Amino acid sequence: MSDNLEQIFVKQLKDNQNIIHKICRLYTNDEDAHKDLFQEVTIQLWKAFPKFRGESKFSTWAYRVALNTAITLYRKSTRSVSTTSYEGQKHFLSHEEYNFEEEEQIKLMYQAVQQLNDIEKALVFLYLEDKDYTEISATLGISEVNARVKMNRIKGKLKKILNP
Amino acid sequence: MEELDLLKKAWQKDSHKFEQVSEGEIYKMLHTNSSSIVKWILIISIIEVLFWTAISVMYNTDDYMKKLHAESMMVYFKALNFVNYAVILYFIYTFYKNYIKISTTASTKQLMQDIIKTRKTVQYYVWYNLVMIVVSLIAGFIIAFAFNPKMELLKDKIAHETDYRILCITLGVMILTCIVIVGLFWLFYRLLYGILLRKLNVNYKELKKIDL
Repeated sequence: MSDNLEQIFVKQLKDNQNIIHKICRLYTNDEDAHKDLFQEVTIQLWKAFPKFRGESKFSTWAYRVALNTAITLYRKSTRSVSTTSYEGQKHFLSHEEYNFEEEEQIKLMYQAVQQLNDIEKALVFLYLEDKDYTEISATLGISEVNARVKMNRIKGKLKKILNP
Repeated sequence: MEELDLLKKAWQKDSHKFEQVSEGEIYKMLHTNSSSIVKWILIISIIEVLFWTAISVMYNTDDYMKKLHAESMMVYFKALNFVNYAVILYFIYTFYKNYIKISTTASTKQLMQDIIKTRKTVQYYVWYNLVMIVVSLIAGFIIAFAFNPKMELLKDKIAHETDYRILCITLGVMILTCIVIVGLFWLFYRLLYGILLRKLNVNYKELKKIDL
């Protein structure tokens, strides 16, 4: 592949890397695994890049490949078992809007999400990214109605994890 | 759900700080090797095809037939060989077709199905070869029984016994040999693909459950 294409890709990836970081954070439970998965996602994105025609945004295109890599291609088990998560997860809110109670709630919620299985995490990820059910169902390859039903079940499951 | 929407709000703000990867680091990543299961499946499959094809090509029955003066059987083995080559070609073609279909830009379910399909192709090929081995074992035994002079003693014994003991033992040893060979391969493949595809199978089952 040409150097030019490589340059475009690297720039795009650098600007959109947070989307991959979010998936890595969701699917791994330590920093080494995070880096490892990030690298594998980058390789898979690069392999698929020649087919990327710019019909959609780079980020939209990237999260499908990234999710597929995390759920299917990545060999190591990505299911996190620990509820204690690694450093850096504490600050979801920036300083000016820091609200202890809200921050605590978000933290607990995030920990609950990490206890879900790989597929449930994918649904939650797409939900958090504000994707509609048409897109969620297309990304995962399930029907729209069932995606909706499953999401409601996941919400119930999360509630149970938070209030056992 | 209130808490999830709270998380969504925080999530979208993207205020969560990730250690940023530099362009230089991304360049470096592009030139490292992937460790995806698709790559492993490809490597294992190539080894499998080479192994089984080598075995079926190298296994030359002609000399054995000549030694036993069983040339009349050779035409059947020649036909079998042609069938074998056709199957190998067909298999490689199917495998290649399935393999290039695997795409990370497909939906998660489609991707999983394509990977499973590609792997199944190899699995069928392995089973085909195992069946061929068992068939060759049986055919080899029958031919040896019919043409090999060393078998005269055994034949004589079987013909004269009344309780079929020797016949039973002979058949028993044959069946046991087949079971052990097939069993060992089955175990090997269960382990190999079991480890490699455990995660994929779990997630595929989970995904299928949603659409039930």
